[in-house]
Amino acid sequence: MFPDVVIIGGGIVGCSCAYYLSREGVKVHLVERGSIASGTSGACEGNILQWDKQPGIELKLGIASAFLWETLAEELPLDIEYVKKGSILVAENQEGLDSAGQIVKSLQNEGVPCQLATREDLLELEPNLAPDITGGAIFPEDAQVQPMLATIALGQAAKDQGAVIHTFTEVKNIELSPERSVVAVNTTAGRIPTRAIVNAAGVWSNAIGKMVDLDIPVLPRKGHIVVTEPVANIVNCKMMEAGYTQAVESDERGLAIAAVVEHTLSGNILLGSSREFVGFDRSVNPDVIRAIVARALRFFPALKNIHAIRTYAGLRPYTPDHRPIIAEADTVKGFYVATGHEGAGICLGPITGKLIAQMLTGQATDLPIEQLSLSRFDD
Amino acid sequence: MAEEDLIICRCEEVSLNEILAAIQEGARTINEVKRRTRAGMGLCQGKTCRRLVTQILARQTGQPMGDILPSTFRPPVRPIALGILSSVEGEEEDDVP
Ligand SMILES: Cc1cc2nc3c(=O)[nH]c(=O)nc-3n(C[C@H](O)[C@H](O)[C@H](O)COP(=O)(O)OP(=O)(O)OC[C@H]3O[C@@H](n4cnc5c(N)ncnc54)[C@H](O)[C@@H]3O)c2cc1C
Repeated sequence: MFPDVVIIGGGIVGCSCAYYLSREGVKVHLVERGSIASGTSGACEGNILQWDKQPGIELKLGIASAFLWETLAEELPLDIEYVKKGSILVAENQEGLDSAGQIVKSLQNEGVPCQLATREDLLELEPNLAPDITGGAIFPEDAQVQPMLATIALGQAAKDQGAVIHTFTEVKNIELSPERSVVAVNTTAGRIPTRAIVNAAGVWSNAIGKMVDLDIPVLPRKGHIVVTEPVANIVNCKMMEAGYTQAVESDERGLAIAAVVEHTLSGNILLGSSREFVGFDRSVNPDVIRAIVARALRFFPALKNIHAIRTYAGLRPYTPDHRPIIAEADTVKGFYVATGHEGAGICLGPITGKLIAQMLTGQATDLPIEQLSLSRFDD
Repeated sequence: MAEEDLIICRCEEVSLNEILAAIQEGARTINEVKRRTRAGMGLCQGKTCRRLVTQILARQTGQPMGDILPSTFRPPVRPIALGILSSVEGEEEDDVP
């Protein structure tokens, strides 16, 4: 039978939408042109952070989603390597320390437990940190998942709840009625009649929007990751440098680097992060890799003899105001947009899926969604 | 030792059983097996197990070997010390690629 909704994209956002919609009994078809997690959700890290969110709706989404992840870790059919190991923000000068102080204040205002930390506090937690740092902050609530397993697990659970997943199937165009309501989706595997679509195509959601004459202002913001061999006892929690949020919020077209050093459950250490606008090119640039490694060694000199085994690059779905779009389009009935999560899609996937499910089933939403509309970018 | 306990990916210690389970859950390509089991994500980056995984996929799914999508290759080709990679303080390292 015909589905109630067709989700385009099998990344963390599409799979979260499939999970929460099918849980409400909605008949879901998910269409993914590659395999599940073959887009950005398979080329990222899995941090679930609070401190990098701007106060307001962004932080509220972060808090709500972190809570959902905690339950999902229990509910999902696969082990998603969820750990709430906390993160630390490290400053190398007074300016960085001041910015850490502001972040701590705004999180505490929202009731998120966190605290400023002296150099000694941080060195006690992470004995391998460079001894000349200034200080920073500790965020014990921050968690992580293995993003590919998390995406696959949400897709699997959706399937168990009755969702139909079409992989290696590409959406070619969308049929609208003369009144501009969604009628059907045409794919490489045939036509799927439906009244509703969720565009969860990540950095490719602009191309999907064009199919119904919508401009979705999402741009690919590239990031590189370096993976080391598995090692123990060099890094314990997640470390980010205090300039990180400036790097995220900058709109500079050039390359921005801020150290992120994270130990995963499998033992490998992940090094990030870079941000640049270079189109849809996902190839690895050795100069960016060198810059990332140099920044990581600045904070963890002990990593210098550890081996890198793999590098990769992914494309973050960036929006001009750094907030995701979670909305029904004003001008196309039944066309929902769930994208633009930039560097926080893994963290915000579950709350996005839940809000979309609430919107589609006519329930009150857990959070106000006005600031997440697509029309906020008009004119 | 039962055949199912055979280690297919030595770097990440992934057994035949785990690979069969991934295929059972729907994995059809080397990348899909990799994402579910970590086979091919270790030190050798799949140089040893890639062919074996392809064979298992072919046998279980009835696809010809040549139709199975190859896995993504990720640089560097050989593990390299971070100190050398960033070209700072790498002097004592002997493991130059
Ligand atoms: C280096 C890096 C590090 C990151 N670290 C973190 C982190 O620590 N924490 C965090 O929360 N976030 C992180 N992110 C961000 C996160 O990865 C993204 O926000 C998230 O993966 C986006 O998910 P998505 O589902 O929107 O997109 P995607 O995962 O890209 O999914 C979209 C899917 O749509 C499919 N598609 C496109 N067009 C079509 C079509 N025509 N027909 C059918 N299918 C189509 C694609 O194949 C793709 O699989 C990071 C990103 C990068 C690059």
